[in-house]
Amino acid sequence: MNPATMSAAAAAGVSVMSVAPSAYLVVGTILFAIGLAGALLKRNALSIFLSIELMMNAVNLLFLTYARMRGDAAGQMVVFFVIAIAAAEAAIGLAIFVALFRARQTVDVDKINFLKW
Amino acid sequence: MNGELLVFAAASAVAIVSALAMLFQKTPVKSVLSLVVTFFALAVLSVLLAAPFVAALQVIVYAGAILVLFLFVIMLLNLTQEAAERETRVVHRFLSAVSVLALGGILVGVTWRSGAPPVPVSASLNAIPATGVDGEIPMLGRLLFTDYLLPFEALSVLLLLAVVGALLLSKRRFE
Amino acid sequence: MDPLLFDAIAAIAKILFVWAVVLAALLPNLVLLERRGAALIQDRPGPNRVGPFGLFQALADVVKMFMKEDMVPIYADRLLYNLAPLIMMIPALTTFAVIPFGSQIPLTIGGVTHTIPLIIADVNVGILYVFALTSLGVYGIVLAGWSSNDKFSLMGGIRSSAQIISYELAMGIAATGVFLAAGSLRLPAVVEYQQTHLWNCIPQLLGCIIFVVSAFAETNRLPFDLAEAEAELVAGFHTEYSAFKFGMFFMGEYANLVAASALIVTLYFGGWSLPGLALTGLWGGIASIGIFAVKTFCFIWLFIWVRWTLPRFRYDQLMALGWKAFLPLSLLNLLWTGWLVLAGGGKF
Repeated sequence: MNPATMSAAAAAGVSVMSVAPSAYLVVGTILFAIGLAGALLKRNALSIFLSIELMMNAVNLLFLTYARMRGDAAGQMVVFFVIAIAAAEAAIGLAIFVALFRARQTVDVDKINFLKW
Repeated sequence: MNGELLVFAAASAVAIVSALAMLFQKTPVKSVLSLVVTFFALAVLSVLLAAPFVAALQVIVYAGAILVLFLFVIMLLNLTQEAAERETRVVHRFLSAVSVLALGGILVGVTWRSGAPPVPVSASLNAIPATGVDGEIPMLGRLLFTDYLLPFEALSVLLLLAVVGALLLSKRRFE
Repeated sequence: MDPLLFDAIAAIAKILFVWAVVLAALLPNLVLLERRGAALIQDRPGPNRVGPFGLFQALADVVKMFMKEDMVPIYADRLLYNLAPLIMMIPALTTFAVIPFGSQIPLTIGGVTHTIPLIIADVNVGILYVFALTSLGVYGIVLAGWSSNDKFSLMGGIRSSAQIISYELAMGIAATGVFLAAGSLRLPAVVEYQQTHLWNCIPQLLGCIIFVVSAFAETNRLPFDLAEAEAELVAGFHTEYSAFKFGMFFMGEYANLVAASALIVTLYFGGWSLPGLALTGLWGGIASIGIFAVKTFCFIWLFIWVRWTLPRFRYDQLMALGWKAFLPLSLLNLLWTGWLVLAGGGKF
């Protein structure tokens, strides 16, 4: 952050970050990429789901960084809702996997091809 | 080298290393545990970003409830030898690796060069207070019950739906 | 003296004080207290051989813990097996960081008076930090059950963690009433609120009862200790542990107990304050530590007393109580507290 924006931020009442925000954004993006790699490269349905959770959490980090940069609490509200929705999604997703396992005795996504012609 | 930089470096390193560990672990249980460490590191980063409430929420809900649920399901299904952990077809692996590296590289490049940050939202109702012993928590509570009341109530309905749905889906059908 | 340096030294001194009191003095002697308490209730002497009135029993127990053979089951997952006791013990000890154990201690160094607040870390999310640590402590139990590669351990581990996450819910909502009344999530704010108003156990009696009973469930104490039920599950999730690691589980359970008692005292029974007593200055600070210790001790005794008095809940009764009884009742308590705050003029 160059001194001009720093003083503008301080004048607006937002305390100054000593670590550049782009560093947080880069960390979030790297985590997103790792999660994406997991979602593409894994065959166990639960592991794919875990990677998707990692992607969502990386996006949470990005939201928080932008909230801090702008001094806007709406970013934190979004993260709050994302966490709650992720909880609901995890419950349903895992219930689906359990039902799937009971029907086919496997959670390998390559073997779940019943709708193939 | 001040404290914030040190904590940021440590937390990001832990987050990235354990995310990679999650990718390369051989058993699902160890993947979940690596992810717990990642989420804990992310909570530390959230505290650095002046969001201690969200950090606590991440540990309580994400690391402490969702991942415990994952662990339960993994133990219930006893998935040690079940599915192969990693994709075996070489073409698929190669293409996935290339596309992830390309996408990751583009995104990192764009965010790294993102220049000056947007103008701070100064005197609006949404501003995070810089001082105050309770931090931003009263502000978040106020927002939740005024501007974001509809999503909040919709969320409660969503959670109810999730509970009912999960119960129905995991019922055993007695033939 | 540089204020930052002074704060750092004060923080380290407070941490050492809490560790010395809790880890070194309280936990080993709690074992003795439990056994003597049990003996008192069951009308028999209890351990009275080691030292006068058996007071050095703690030393004997610690020596036993170190000297026993440390067996590891053959197919146990080594890393998780060794890590689980730590994961259970560390959250229990770290909870003490946000609990205010006294008012303040003013120190005059070189003519400048520094006031040390008697709380290790006054985080602004207060109680959420405690709930976060409780959620992480579940992993210790479920991993102990899983990594022991033993059916009894697995059943005990799963039962115990399901019980903990169920009662966490009722406990959290019951505690929300306290923070609604105090207007802040910080624990020192709750204690200050109780200095000027009635202790929270009186207007929020339902919430207090729910919180105390849920604390029993959270710490795996009778009547909620089905996860370690000797008659059914050998020893539950710590069946396969011996010597020092078992000692860590044992001490971890007692550390949880002390933390739960301290939390109950802070939230519902006035913390370190007594009604009508202004605890300022050096002697006020020391007196407040003493008051807090006595109150916490009363609740520790309550935990021990109930353990040797009541029979155990069956597992389905336990879960039914947590979900079907405590959750609606805690919501009712929240409603009642909200009405009280509104009737009292509201704060926001």
